[in-house]
Amino acid sequence: MKVLVPVKRVIDYNVKVRVKADGSGVDLANVKMSMNPFDEIAVEQAIRLKEAGQAEEIIAVSIGVKQNQETLRTALAMGADRAILIVASEDVHHDVEPLTVAKLLKAVVDEEAPGLVLCGKQAIDNDMNATGQMLAALLGWSQGTFASGLEIDGDNANVTREVDGGLQTIKVKMPAVVTVDLRLNEPRYASLPNIMKAKKKQLDEKTPEDYGVDASPRLEIVKTSEPEARKAGVIVKSVDELVEKLNEAGVI
Amino acid sequence: MPRDSQPYDETVMTDLLDLTARALEPLRDLLATGTEGLRTHVHHDGRIDPAALDAHQTAAHGLAWLATYVQALTQMQNWAERLNADGKFGEAEALTHQIAFGEYLNQIKGGISVSQGEILRLSDIGVEAPLDDPAIRTLCRDGNTQAARARLAALIADNAHATFGASGLDDEMEMIRDQFRRFVQDRIAPHAHEWHLSDTLIPTEVIAEMAELGVFGLTIPEENGGFGLSKTAMCVVSEELSRGWIGVGSLGTRSEIAAELILGGGTETQKAHWLPLIASGEVLPTAVFTEPNTGSDLGALSTRATRTDDGWTITGNKTWITHAARAGVMAVMARTDPDSADYRGLSMFLAEKTPGTEATPFPDAGITGGEIEVLGYRGMKEYELAFDGFAVAENGLLGGEEGQGFKQLMRTFESARIQTAARAIGVAQSALDLALSYAQERRQFGQQLIAFPRVAGKIAMMAVEITVARQLSYHAAREKDGGRRCDLEAGMAKLLAARVAWAAADNGVQIHGGNGFALEYPISRVLCDARILSIFEGAAEIQAQVIARRLLG
Repeated sequence: MKVLVPVKRVIDYNVKVRVKADGSGVDLANVKMSMNPFDEIAVEQAIRLKEAGQAEEIIAVSIGVKQNQETLRTALAMGADRAILIVASEDVHHDVEPLTVAKLLKAVVDEEAPGLVLCGKQAIDNDMNATGQMLAALLGWSQGTFASGLEIDGDNANVTREVDGGLQTIKVKMPAVVTVDLRLNEPRYASLPNIMKAKKKQLDEKTPEDYGVDASPRLEIVKTSEPEARKAGVIVKSVDELVEKLNEAGVI
Repeated sequence: MPRDSQPYDETVMTDLLDLTARALEPLRDLLATGTEGLRTHVHHDGRIDPAALDAHQTAAHGLAWLATYVQALTQMQNWAERLNADGKFGEAEALTHQIAFGEYLNQIKGGISVSQGEILRLSDIGVEAPLDDPAIRTLCRDGNTQAARARLAALIADNAHATFGASGLDDEMEMIRDQFRRFVQDRIAPHAHEWHLSDTLIPTEVIAEMAELGVFGLTIPEENGGFGLSKTAMCVVSEELSRGWIGVGSLGTRSEIAAELILGGGTETQKAHWLPLIASGEVLPTAVFTEPNTGSDLGALSTRATRTDDGWTITGNKTWITHAARAGVMAVMARTDPDSADYRGLSMFLAEKTPGTEATPFPDAGITGGEIEVLGYRGMKEYELAFDGFAVAENGLLGGEEGQGFKQLMRTFESARIQTAARAIGVAQSALDLALSYAQERRQFGQQLIAFPRVAGKIAMMAVEITVARQLSYHAAREKDGGRRCDLEAGMAKLLAARVAWAAADNGVQIHGGNGFALEYPISRVLCDARILSIFEGAAEIQAQVIARRLLG
């Protein structure tokens, strides 16, 4: 079985996000970027499946700007076998929309015929939490989202999902799209020998046109703004005083 | 150049790169004049007269520091121009560059603080230079201002916990940095302070994980079982490991020195036997050079190696042997020619030993050892060793030839110093990390500490000097990777990085106030760890001497 792992290049979680002066988006020029942490977990899970003899080949795919190459090299250094880069944007500030990504991934799936697509449950930049679900719908495949556990059992996958109030385990028919959550595993560090080996691994570069997908945006960003700064509060001495203050504020 | 559509803050000087480029020319002239002038005092019959050099030691070392500053600023300029060409010279990088020039130019004019209480001035070198070139004047006046430092500190604060500023290295090196950074944050940083305080050896599981990551075979060629990475990669790995704890950043030092010794001076059999074992981390090496009465003056050492029927025996006392108990092979320098009194009678041995345990640190016959308790730089432990007829196999003589030990060792100095510069940068970076987070968390007089200019200024200067030392060490590493002689560059990188680390640690403690003096706070460990850097691998004075000799030769 082949496993396809889409990986997104996002602003590093250590970096403080700054909104551009004109409000058109987040400033990403000269900002440290990394692989979306949920996607790292997906790559790790794919490698574990391969190590367990349940997968033969891991293909990492990334959609975005040319610099996504770095993200793919990291996936290759972790243990993916080959990579596909689809350059769908020239500008780092242009975020390719989930539906476009899903359509492109569908095209890759049609070509590569993987038995499983493992993706992060969401990207930490815009938190859309949409691509995996859209892809499953476009493919007509079953889906298991927010996976904190995954077992391949013949033609089925047992997916443990983190839901409100506990864990839910579902059995989905393969092929399937599984989106992974934080507690599924702890991604490995790429070792120096594997970083060296990754340089020799195949990385194909494509465009949306190669797959016949129109990548032009369907959404318009009206405005981006920073969250309002928290205003100073007051410390109350008693419940009575609290009720009084809330009354004053007209919220009860 | 500006970040996206936003213009630079007004603290960035206009025409910065042009100004700094123009400032370098007069500096090079100054260095040339100083060197020429001093040469007339220390040369005798066209060669350096050691007695005259000692008589002019302050001048000579002042010249070494001046040359180090000029080289540092040259490398900063190269870094800035490379970044600019790649569109990566952002506001933070511009401010770093500008503050570095402003500060170092002012120091060159007014006196370079080579250590607390020791300021070397141009008058010490015997040169008079007004340095009134307009570019230099402008940079001295506007380069390192409070406003520039405050702005830089604000930018650093936005990137807390990430590595600050563009390194100028390629994506592969940055991938290596990211991977080791993560490893250190997960596996080292949470425990380092506890390991330091309890003075324990680095856990063997951690060493095993590092072996798996490839730390011990980093620069060993692939045909010898290593990974054939560059010295630049070694710098990146050493920096990030030392950023977690100098102990783990220094594990690789021993492997690097042993591998360099064997690669440079070993026979094919010795290479085939030892290098794969060292690269895989299966055998941990240690360096056994220093003696109770010979530290920097290695040529005078007196441990003896005597031929026997089936090899050699070693007798004598050694000290400051790092990680000695656990090591499986020692690189021992000993005197094989009893009639010699200098370096010419010294030979190097690869002496196999049984790794010890806590209960029995030195199980072999003919070797005993005692632990030296130390302020910092813990995790491997320091030992004094007494050899009394310790047996070394016939094939243990490095290169199979006597009298080559000193030369063989000298060949490793470049790499060892580059690696040590990288360790110093890692220690400085950890001081910056700790000081920054404390300055953001701690509030006094109703605001974060970092809001006070003197605190922000210290943080900014740490970041600036870390960048300068980093660029100097990457330069040395690139020279080494290019197969060029780089003892001068490596020495400069080590000399400056060690001072930078100590300054960063000291200021880190200062920002912590009383808490920095408490053992409970990790910055107290970083202070202890930083102190060793200007002592080992060529003390600062020796380093300056070596640099001066090269310049004046």
